[in-house]
Amino acid sequence: MDSNIIIKLKNVNFYYGPTRALTDISMTFGKNKVTALIGPSGCGKSTLLRLLNRMNELIDGTKVEGEILFEDKNIYAPDVDPVEIRRKIGMVFQKPNPFPKTIYNNISYGPKLTGVSGAEMDVLVEQSLKQAVLWDEVKDILNKSAMNLSGGQQQRLCIARALAMKPDILLMDEPTSALDPISTAKIEELIEELKKDYTIIIVTHNMQQAARISDETAFFYLGNLIEYNETEKIFTKPDVKQTEDYITGRFG
Amino acid sequence: MKSLKYNSMKWRYFKQTVFFTLVRVSALIITLALGGLVLYIIVNGISSISWDFITKPPTDSMTKGGIMPAILGTIYLTIGAIAIGLPLGIASAIYLTEYARQGKIIRFIKVGINCLAGVPSVVFGLFGLGFFVIFLKFGSSILSGSLTLGFLILPTIIGASEEALKSVPQTFREASLSLGVSKWQTTYRIVLPNALPGILTGSILGIGRAAGETAPIMFTAAAYFTAKLPGSVFDEVMALPYHIYVLATAGTNIEATRPIQFGTVLVLVGVVLSIDLIAIVIRGYMRRNKRW
Repeated sequence: MDSNIIIKLKNVNFYYGPTRALTDISMTFGKNKVTALIGPSGCGKSTLLRLLNRMNELIDGTKVEGEILFEDKNIYAPDVDPVEIRRKIGMVFQKPNPFPKTIYNNISYGPKLTGVSGAEMDVLVEQSLKQAVLWDEVKDILNKSAMNLSGGQQQRLCIARALAMKPDILLMDEPTSALDPISTAKIEELIEELKKDYTIIIVTHNMQQAARISDETAFFYLGNLIEYNETEKIFTKPDVKQTEDYITGRFG
Repeated sequence: MKSLKYNSMKWRYFKQTVFFTLVRVSALIITLALGGLVLYIIVNGISSISWDFITKPPTDSMTKGGIMPAILGTIYLTIGAIAIGLPLGIASAIYLTEYARQGKIIRFIKVGINCLAGVPSVVFGLFGLGFFVIFLKFGSSILSGSLTLGFLILPTIIGASEEALKSVPQTFREASLSLGVSKWQTTYRIVLPNALPGILTGSILGIGRAAGETAPIMFTAAAYFTAKLPGSVFDEVMALPYHIYVLATAGTNIEATRPIQFGTVLVLVGVVLSIDLIAIVIRGYMRRNKRW
């Protein structure tokens, strides 16, 4: 596999019970790139995102066909532990979902179970919060409940929590859709920053956001990958009429 | 037209007043019945309560003396029932809600558990007699009684635990799993701590029932009279509910022991409320961080 490629999908089909949600998807995700997945509601973009860290299998009655290669290994191979996959491929959700614990313990929760402790943990917590540009706001209240933070701060805390596991890839499922414009801007700046060290795959309903932050954009419609190209090309001269109709707001 | 509308509004207000009144009266009846019951017990029982009554064993064929062995016996049996029912019930509920694939079999099991909750307690008593006392040779003992009571309250605890586990937001589970934390650790470190206050709330009902039931312990644990305190879990004990039953129906001098009967009832109510209170305090302590 090309060293610039971190994930490769080969003829992936996905089913919720009898319903097919994704049809024959083949695509690759570039290393240290921001890739945006766009499309109208129900087009399968969030489903695809959750396939990449095996979160879909928490739902009973789902089925995957095809291969998803991460570092040349099919993550759906029978000998692969989904827990290992999720350690390397972190996720940030649509609604900020901190645990009802202190700010510090939100970050330390995951690493603690992998054996990090003591001073090493303090360093990791600080480093993760700094990476998520939250440190200055919370450094004096680390022992206060995370539930007291604002929505935008909570979402950055969730990003820090994911980063503390030192993943290779960060999946983001509409991370700013529940946030106000200022918090959204902060998260977008953060993504720009994180791109240096991480591969980011982001689902968004916001066209401007996709255009602003991503390098590549994939447009999905009814479970099919319609067009996948450099973001600039998609938003200026898309090859497919459907893509153009969607991004110009004619449907969706 | 206008007057018709006005009338219909008036009619609606009238109906509303009628229904509100009905609801209020119902609430009042319940409160009065409950208050009356408690008041009746207190008025009739308070005169027998003394330091000796709760610290001394019965004397003179149970017409005098205290009820200390019965108090202790009920406390032992209740703690035993909790020790058996709570872990088993929580574990079952975790399996049913977190691990089992939802489907026909699980639904069948849940119906079974609900049926179990409706089984008369004397049936549990006979089961305890046949299985724990005779088959497993535990004899009539604290162990047999605790096991029987533990099984009796199991459906209540499973039901309460299931509800409490389901009320923990799915997003917590997702967040934990997405960090590469295993399912068991997610359940143990995130789901269970957040469900515990709810589990305890529901279990309080079961705990009160364990302390107050007579039929299940009649054949499995309770002694008619023993001045000696239990030395191990294989000993028989006196217990408050059974003591009340004995004094009121089979005592040597039923009329003469009336005040003792009421005193014992009052103590039983007191013991149940104290156990509930402890559970409520623990719940409050666990809840202090709950906010979502």
